[in-house]
Amino acid sequence: MTVEATSDAVRAPAPPKKRKKLGQTERQQRRWGFLFISPWIVGFLLFFLLPMAASLVFSFLEFDLIRPEDARFVGLENYQRWFGDPLVWESLLVTVKYAAIAIPLSLALPLGFAWLLTSKSLWGKPLFRTLFFMPTIVPFVSGVLIWSGFLNTQTGWLNQMLETIGIPGPDWLNSTVWIYPALALIGAWTVGNAMLLFIAGIQGIPVELYEAADVDGANTWHKFKSITVPMISPILFYNLVLVVIALFQYFLVPFVLKGPSGDPANSTLFYSLYFFKTAFTFNDMGYGATLAWMLFVIIMIITIVIFGTAKYWVYYEFEEV
Amino acid sequence: MKRLRWLAVVFALALVVAACGGDDDTTGDTAADTTAAPGDTTAETTTTAEAAPDTTAPEAMGDAVEIRWFVGLGTGGNPEQIEAQEAVVEAFNASQDEINLVLEIVQNDVAYDTLSTQIASGNAPDIIGPVGIRGANAFNGRWLDLQPLVDASGYDLSRWTQEQVDVWRTDEGLVGLPFGVFPAMMFYNKALFDEAGLPYPPQEFGADYDGKPWNMDTVREISQFLTVDANGNDATSPDFDPDNVIQFGYVDQWSEPQRFATMFGAGSMTNDDGTPNVPSQWVDGFKWYYDGVWTDNFIPSQDYADSDLLAAGNPFDSGNVAMAHTHLWYICCLAGVADSWDLAVVPEYNGETTAALHADVFRILNTTEHPEEAFEVLTYLVGEGAPALLDVYGAMPADVTLQDAFFAKQDETYTQGVNWQVAVDSLAFPDIPSHEQDMPNFLKSQDRWGAFWSALNTTPGLDVDAEVSSLLADLETIYAEAN
Repeated sequence: MTVEATSDAVRAPAPPKKRKKLGQTERQQRRWGFLFISPWIVGFLLFFLLPMAASLVFSFLEFDLIRPEDARFVGLENYQRWFGDPLVWESLLVTVKYAAIAIPLSLALPLGFAWLLTSKSLWGKPLFRTLFFMPTIVPFVSGVLIWSGFLNTQTGWLNQMLETIGIPGPDWLNSTVWIYPALALIGAWTVGNAMLLFIAGIQGIPVELYEAADVDGANTWHKFKSITVPMISPILFYNLVLVVIALFQYFLVPFVLKGPSGDPANSTLFYSLYFFKTAFTFNDMGYGATLAWMLFVIIMIITIVIFGTAKYWVYYEFEEV
Repeated sequence: MKRLRWLAVVFALALVVAACGGDDDTTGDTAADTTAAPGDTTAETTTTAEAAPDTTAPEAMGDAVEIRWFVGLGTGGNPEQIEAQEAVVEAFNASQDEINLVLEIVQNDVAYDTLSTQIASGNAPDIIGPVGIRGANAFNGRWLDLQPLVDASGYDLSRWTQEQVDVWRTDEGLVGLPFGVFPAMMFYNKALFDEAGLPYPPQEFGADYDGKPWNMDTVREISQFLTVDANGNDATSPDFDPDNVIQFGYVDQWSEPQRFATMFGAGSMTNDDGTPNVPSQWVDGFKWYYDGVWTDNFIPSQDYADSDLLAAGNPFDSGNVAMAHTHLWYICCLAGVADSWDLAVVPEYNGETTAALHADVFRILNTTEHPEEAFEVLTYLVGEGAPALLDVYGAMPADVTLQDAFFAKQDETYTQGVNWQVAVDSLAFPDIPSHEQDMPNFLKSQDRWGAFWSALNTTPGLDVDAEVSSLLADLETIYAEAN
């Protein structure tokens, strides 16, 4: 039937498409399909699409949660305010500062671990992989609180260890400079998921490539640089996109450590925290919604840019020519 | 096949219900660990979410008016508090069949957002409390004036003094009836004073301390002597090592800038012309405090306060702090120094004594559809239900006739013989205006005050005068936004 339709189309201009009548089995299958995905559809509509649409409407309103009856339409005023709000730029700068440490670390560390944990020379690989992955399954809030104690200047283990080797430990959590390495350290604790992806990628690289490189006299570094990294570049790319998105949504760690205060001196006032503070501490829901939508726009632009660069450095083995 | 299909439908519905349902940990009348400090401003209830206890007889629910009692803006989330509140609800519901009282307990850290959202969505509860002045400030404009209800019902206010009632008269009218009061005092650790061979701080207003006036200079002096480093040197010694302190002389327990500064005298944060103000005596106080942290070293910095040495956030209870300025609600959280503490009066400054006062009440939202019924519940909470609630909230009754019973109950817990008279006497030195007073653009203004206080606690080398100027400049902008 399909073949006939195709040959007819070659001979004459295509008639208007008729909706294909489904057979009983197909209809039944379709119903079953909808039935099984209905929880997701309901969840998506109720808890994602509806709030998103509502927040878009809010972004054009002056809307105080406690005084909803005073809400009024202000057009693009909130967006105008966004561009002139110094705290927006300060919070974006905070995010960028942290990104300068966190992005390289979030990619290099799991990649390094994955490289080590796939080494032929390593004994007890499953044990080490489990150990390195384990922090990921610790509830994050508990983990952050433990880190808070670990990094305490007076009684924290890290500074005590540093002092035993004669290095005076910094004030990790109350210094506007050291807070970023401290946050990066906490973040580095949970690289288990990215590490697993890298391990899977490295294990998928054909052994022949390494054997050929051995014949050519390549050393370990050359093999890593010229075979491993290009071959796992899609995973690198995937992790990069995830890390960048997560970075702009970075909230939990600074919030658990410092609350919505942004202490010390706004150095933890990440964009998401500023959004939270505006919407849920100051009750300025209209401007809060604007902050959220602008965050969406920023993430979208950055993601598009990253995708745009992919053709220059991401290698897909089975890419169509 | 048909049966299989029905099974699939049931399964899918179950998934939808599960997806839409709440977390197990946050439903029901679950109670868990808590470090809540009674009193609205510092309560840190860590668990307990919506709880609608099954205390209502089903047959009574048909025609009964439902009144929702929202707990969470202040204290009320501790397991024993939940139990007591549930008992009060049960007793109230059993006492009549016109009103069905429903208890809603929300975590303190999300209570504000929850209530805001409920108001915005037109699903607001009827009664809120216990809540203090500061906790309620964010919802100003939303409180019901109780006076017409008092007049209509002939409710007798004479059990309280006129002054006690007038505290709750605002621009919105009479927004609460006196319930619990928490004067600020000096908690002190007797063991540390004994160890240092120092006499205890005075327990009567106007009394001297070892021949000296009991003022902020004396507090500084003995606090330095009570601050000890790992080598056993006190903070007056030239060999004292401020980086290795193991015992501090003074802490402003769970402090906030205005509460602390009020020890130096009450003041207004807004001038008559609507501009922001930092009273000059407060500036003196901030300098005293800042020097205490960074120069005289008898007050723990934020980093010390967060350390295990000071029980990671509950410094006085660690047993490593000699004196703590805080409110009566702190009796909630004294497990660590259970039998070694007592109360002293707050010191004077420039010959004046000011004991900052926290006070909790129950309020009714002006969105309620059943004001009469809500008022009936409110009068029950401050009446028959009050003794049990005051006891678990650690709140000193505003009604003097209930105070003896309250303190007798506390003596069962703290058997060392606490001098509760200090708390009663402190009520004669309240801060007027209150340090919890409203400000224009309250939430943002308070946030800026918080940043100021955080800077003092975390940053050495600051010029306090410059910080105050910066605070004032920012507040000016924030106040202007409100206009």
